[in-house]
Amino acid sequence: MTLSGSHDIMWGSALTGGPKKSVKTKTILAAAAACMMAWTARAALADEQGPPHPPEESAQVYSDPLAPFNERMFWFNLKLDHYVLHPVARGYAAIAPTPVREAVDRFFSNVNFIPRFANNLFQLRMADAGTELARFGINTTVGVVGLFDPADHWFGLKQHNNDMGLTLGYYGVPQGPYLVLPFLGPGTIRDTVGYAADGAMWPLPYFVPWYVSLPTGAGKAIVEAVNFRSLHLDLFEQVDRYAVDLYGAVQDGYMQRRASQLRRLRE
Amino acid sequence: MQREMGMITPRRRPASLLALTFLAALMLTGGITVYADTSALEMTRQFVNQALQIMANKQLPVANRTSQLRAVLEPHFDFREMARQSLGPHWRELTQAQRQDFSNVFKDFIESAYLSKINDYSGQQVQFLQQTSLGPGFVQVHSTIVQAGKAPIPINYLLDQKDDSWKIYDVTVDNISIIQNYRNQFNRVINDNGFDKLLADLKAKQQQLALPQAS
Repeated sequence: MTLSGSHDIMWGSALTGGPKKSVKTKTILAAAAACMMAWTARAALADEQGPPHPPEESAQVYSDPLAPFNERMFWFNLKLDHYVLHPVARGYAAIAPTPVREAVDRFFSNVNFIPRFANNLFQLRMADAGTELARFGINTTVGVVGLFDPADHWFGLKQHNNDMGLTLGYYGVPQGPYLVLPFLGPGTIRDTVGYAADGAMWPLPYFVPWYVSLPTGAGKAIVEAVNFRSLHLDLFEQVDRYAVDLYGAVQDGYMQRRASQLRRLRE
Repeated sequence: MQREMGMITPRRRPASLLALTFLAALMLTGGITVYADTSALEMTRQFVNQALQIMANKQLPVANRTSQLRAVLEPHFDFREMARQSLGPHWRELTQAQRQDFSNVFKDFIESAYLSKINDYSGQQVQFLQQTSLGPGFVQVHSTIVQAGKAPIPINYLLDQKDDSWKIYDVTVDNISIIQNYRNQFNRVINDNGFDKLLADLKAKQQQLALPQAS
């Protein structure tokens, strides 16, 4: 009883700054305040310097334990692009005018809305999920199966990209090693798991037999890839032009892009 | 940001008043430095506008424009800091002579890369937005390239204070840091093949980029 009473007096005077405050308490308080300030200042500094990247010579380079495998896959994809994808995309671009290819791009974007919607939902981004749902409804009907984007042009509803890799990252799952896969390109373990989960949201296999859904899925992936490449014919060439080590340039570009997407979601 | 829209409380005024008082208290204790200073932003704006003007002046032969542009960009970049950061932890392993060698080659490389874009400009608008502090002596200047019918591209300049003026030591395009990207490339080349190989590769790439451009 007396003990708690004395505590009350001590804390009470310390908090209100009453006349009973001893020199010792003052010193402790001052030290605590200084520590707090130093700590918050440090945290603020670290926070500010962290994301854009610090003016430090020892800033991060990535560990790449799967590099031997990754490098082989990277060169395989490069050859595949050089000998198949890029020539096909160039030929296709010569036949189909840009507005047509942009409409096809919008069509696929619309068709792939489920993972965007679901992952915005998983991250409790209700407004973004709602926007995605509204966009799908408007663009599928008024926008003629997604070939046009009246949701944006008339209603100002912008697309909110999201995927399972980002959802996992959002909830703190570490990204794991960098992983390059044939046909799919750069990723991390986390993003590969996410990619598979997003892929499982593609509804067709749940409604038609596998010998229909499998070729349809493959066909969709191929047309999508060719169409995308045809809209970005010199994307890769621009990277190559300025790269000293192409693998490293693509790897870092991927890592920085994903980190920036995740940062934006956490803001 | 949009998620916060649902959290508007009816008692908005007292809350904002409290926040204001708190902010004022923080500023008094020196917890927050308020940046009214826009010297880095103005410097970058001036430099970029000057550079774009030269690039847009298509009547002038490429060679003349190139030398003009080189003269304009030289004083605005901190090439030494760029070189140091692009090597990351490897910088410390180098001798003074190696550092100097690398800095010279890297400077030529960055200049050639920049100048090789001299014909790429086709009238896009650049908007300068704000500058934010990255700690004492470091700021970030935010800008965007606005193109009709396309998503705007954010371009940020990172500057440090050297001899009473701001100098650019990194540029981020769509939030991807150029120096960080080279840091990863250089790290791989050094780890796999050593510093001398990096120096040779960088020289070769620079010469490739410096090849004369068609007007």
